[in-house]
Amino acid sequence: MIDHVITLGNVSRYYVMGEFIVKALDGVSVTIKRGEFTSIMGPSGSGKTTMMNLIGCLDTPTSGQILIDGEDTSGMNEAELAFIRNQKVGFVFQQFNLLGKLTALDNVITPLLYAGFKPRERKRMAIEALERVGLADRMYHRPNELSGGQKQRVAIARALVNNPSILLADEPTGALDSRTGNQIMELFDELNSEGRTVILVTHDRELGLKAKRRIYIRDGKIEV
Amino acid sequence: MVIENIKLAFNAMRGNKMRTALSLLGIVIGVASVVAILTIGESASQSIKDAIAIGGLDMVTIYPSSGQRNTGIFNEEFSSMLRRDVEGIDVVLPQNSSIARIRVGQEAADASVVGVLSDYGDALNLEYAQGSFFEAMDNINRRQVAVLGSSIADTLFPDQEAVGQYISLFRNQAKNYLVVGVLESKDPTFNLSYDNSVFIPYNTYGQRFVRSTNVGAFVVKVTDGFDTIAVSDKITEYLDDIVGTDGYALFSPASLAEMADQITGTFSTFLALIAAISLVVGGIGIMNIMLVSVAERTREIGVRKAIGASPAVIRGQFLIEALTLTILGGFLGIVLGSLLSFAVTNLMDWSLHLSYASFILALGFSMFVGVFFGWYPAVKASKLDPIEALNHE
Repeated sequence: MIDHVITLGNVSRYYVMGEFIVKALDGVSVTIKRGEFTSIMGPSGSGKTTMMNLIGCLDTPTSGQILIDGEDTSGMNEAELAFIRNQKVGFVFQQFNLLGKLTALDNVITPLLYAGFKPRERKRMAIEALERVGLADRMYHRPNELSGGQKQRVAIARALVNNPSILLADEPTGALDSRTGNQIMELFDELNSEGRTVILVTHDRELGLKAKRRIYIRDGKIEV
Repeated sequence: MVIENIKLAFNAMRGNKMRTALSLLGIVIGVASVVAILTIGESASQSIKDAIAIGGLDMVTIYPSSGQRNTGIFNEEFSSMLRRDVEGIDVVLPQNSSIARIRVGQEAADASVVGVLSDYGDALNLEYAQGSFFEAMDNINRRQVAVLGSSIADTLFPDQEAVGQYISLFRNQAKNYLVVGVLESKDPTFNLSYDNSVFIPYNTYGQRFVRSTNVGAFVVKVTDGFDTIAVSDKITEYLDDIVGTDGYALFSPASLAEMADQITGTFSTFLALIAAISLVVGGIGIMNIMLVSVAERTREIGVRKAIGASPAVIRGQFLIEALTLTILGGFLGIVLGSLLSFAVTNLMDWSLHLSYASFILALGFSMFVGVFFGWYPAVKASKLDPIEALNHE
């Protein structure tokens, strides 16, 4: 039996814009296996961000079914979706989205706080994650004292720390110079080779080609 | 989680010190006024009680109605009867008084002449500037001796010691009385000053001065350890049964003190309620700053939601922030209110009685304000759409 970490079954996401209905995602079916490194590519407005939001449980589909790690997320309420995001998904954003008033360590601790770990355990796990991304020596620095690459490493540590089923990266190198961007991509590669499922969302063809599996989206549908 | 949220709240406050201070001002002023009003009220009421206590908080005076004086129970036996039938009575002292003109040579004054037993002085803890109270034998022998209040003594004997001198009491005919003692002056409280009184032995009063066996009043001293108001209530009950409510009148400094206490209490509660309105205004300030805070931190809320904060967690975070603000404001208000009370009581020469109940009340109320006015912004934050919040600039 194949271990599918993500299953999208005929998923659509429509937005109502005045009199028009925008079909951001239109009947998409796709499965992603555990341990895969997949990129979701497409021009802006293609629906890739919508797909990422749906996989990351930030959004719910208009119709269709989404299974994350075997759990059907359709019909879940806000709190249940928050629990899935906390336990199953690790987000990495283009703009890092670190909490500016917290240290690197506290940023990484935050998801563990929501997961209900005890203080001592939280700190141990967060330090471990920061060590994994090579930033243990910067853990008491605040985001404004870190370079772009360091910030993104903290963000990756935060995404990793709860040991999620999926790492979901949205243009993770978009705000970095190409050298730093490459280092971040290498880090994703390493994490994938350790067995983690990585999904990279990008409009950058070159970057997307680094993934072993590519999904192209255009006008809300998957291009074969 | 709560501790982390409190830390976050302090972080947010540190980030916007001026704004935090201004928005706290309403709560601080509100709490300070409530604390100051209740504390000053309490101190005022205590100082009134202290003043009344000079008049003898353990004394109850019974005045038989004029119709009851000759007949009925208000005779020589009343004292022992009352002591037997009502618990908590130390002594019952009969007393008669009337206004009379007193002369010494060219000096003259009108005074209240009071006929009492010799143990009256000890029972009322009277203090003497000169001499002492008269003796039991003075009463038995109906001797013409007198103890003067301080103003009377000053008026009649401006240049010399009064003790050993004679005064002339005029009633139908003038009679000379030997002065055996002069009382210390006492602040007048509810006419309970003796400064303008002249005390003479009870039997002298009844048989030589007025020539009547009627008793004008009974002064009751409550036994130590008994509540004066409770005993006076029992006396009231007892007398109502025997002579009816119209048969007597009862006066006790303790019930006056209680009345004064109730009046200042009602008054300061009323003022505190008005001050509490400013707490509500302060609450609106808190709501305002919390709404600003939520709007400014929309992106942060989006991030927190993306990494797994449930709506309840977000709501909790902002509620705790509002609560932290108001509790901080409450503490500052208590300090300010106490300082204000200290200044006012010092100025009024009252002793300071910090109203700890008002501390708890004010703090409790400001916490309520925090929850009440923090709720809407917190709910608003918790309902933000995570995607929109993340894309918020």
